Amino acid sequence: MRTDDLIATLSRDVPAVPRHAFGRRIALGMGLGGVATLLLIVATIGVRPDLGAAMRGFPFWMKWAYTASLGLVAVAATMRLARPEGARAPLLWAMAVPVLLLAGVGIAELAHTPPADWVRMWLGASWQYCPWLVLLLALPIFAGLLWSFRRFAPTRLRLAGAAAGLAAGTWSATLYCLHCPEVSALFVLTWYSLGIGLAAGLGALAGPRLLRW
Amino acid sequence: MRIGDDQLRALMLAGLDGDGASHAALLELAASLLRAFYRRRIADADDIEDLVQETLIAVHERRASYDRRRPFSPWLFAIARYKMIDHIRRRSRLQPIDDVEDLLAADFEAPSLARTDLARLLDSLPAKQAAAIRNTRIEGLSVAEAAARAGIGESDVKVSVHRGLKALAARVKGQKR
Repeated sequence: MRTDDLIATLSRDVPAVPRHAFGRRIALGMGLGGVATLLLIVATIGVRPDLGAAMRGFPFWMKWAYTASLGLVAVAATMRLARPEGARAPLLWAMAVPVLLLAGVGIAELAHTPPADWVRMWLGASWQYCPWLVLLLALPIFAGLLWSFRRFAPTRLRLAGAAAGLAAGTWSATLYCLHCPEVSALFVLTWYSLGIGLAAGLGALAGPRLLRW
Repeated sequence: MRIGDDQLRALMLAGLDGDGASHAALLELAASLLRAFYRRRIADADDIEDLVQETLIAVHERRASYDRRRPFSPWLFAIARYKMIDHIRRRSRLQPIDDVEDLLAADFEAPSLARTDLARLLDSLPAKQAAAIRNTRIEGLSVAEAAARAGIGESDVKVSVHRGLKALAARVKGQKR
């Protein structure tokens, strides 16, 4: 096909792109994935029965503040990497802030707990499956983001995949808080972060293949 | 004819608002910019036109990734660069994208140095492979022309280029380590 003909064909149907189409598309992909994750939680592992009471305590909000603040950074980085040229500084260093804050809470926690109980506190009751559930529950959100990316133009595919995996992992962890009864900052710092890290790693592995265009 | 970024951006914004005529004008201008961009970097004329078209399609399909507040040219050329790297990687079957980027960077930034390195590397290959690469990739002959010059078949040229590039990539990697 000649280039002039191609241009004529492409210009025949030019739908308007609304001003906030970019953000809306990210939100829609993540939102639909998030709903799927939420349904999955409700249908399988269930929401913790004492959720109402837990929401009046400190640990619940500590966990949400941690996962949600990481989530905001991850989404911001994902949005930068979804544009072809805006990939210079993907902001990820900002994640050090919530990590250090949670580590501070963890140290305070250790100071208030007899050393004999440290390991039990750190491992909680669910360390063996918490990271895997976070990873598993991240998959629908990651799939939603893949859909969003079909109209975007990432040029650093591995990094963009990692950021999308990170975003999926952090929001999966945020939703997983509705089920998880753990209360220790060190537990969250270790096992939640591990699950989130696994999701980011999976994204980095899959990025060059799945995000190619 | 010199095209300012303000003009391109204005056309892009009008196209994003649904104006087909502006969109067509934008693609028209973009096509000539892209042709110049690829001509400086790629030898084969068919490849250049393929890349121009592929990039125009990407520009059209992925308009939503353009940030209205930013200049247009960096967005366009970021897409062009991505398409070129993807094209070269597909052509030479070199797997990691980073290697191609290194080769390109060396080619742009230190042409004389790269040329000496390249000559030295090519000398280490069998003569037929070296000649095939020199003719098609450096001098910019088509496969048919290179085949005629070397007095061998076209598929022989293609295979020689492929094997030679693979051997070169392995050698370059070995040097880095």
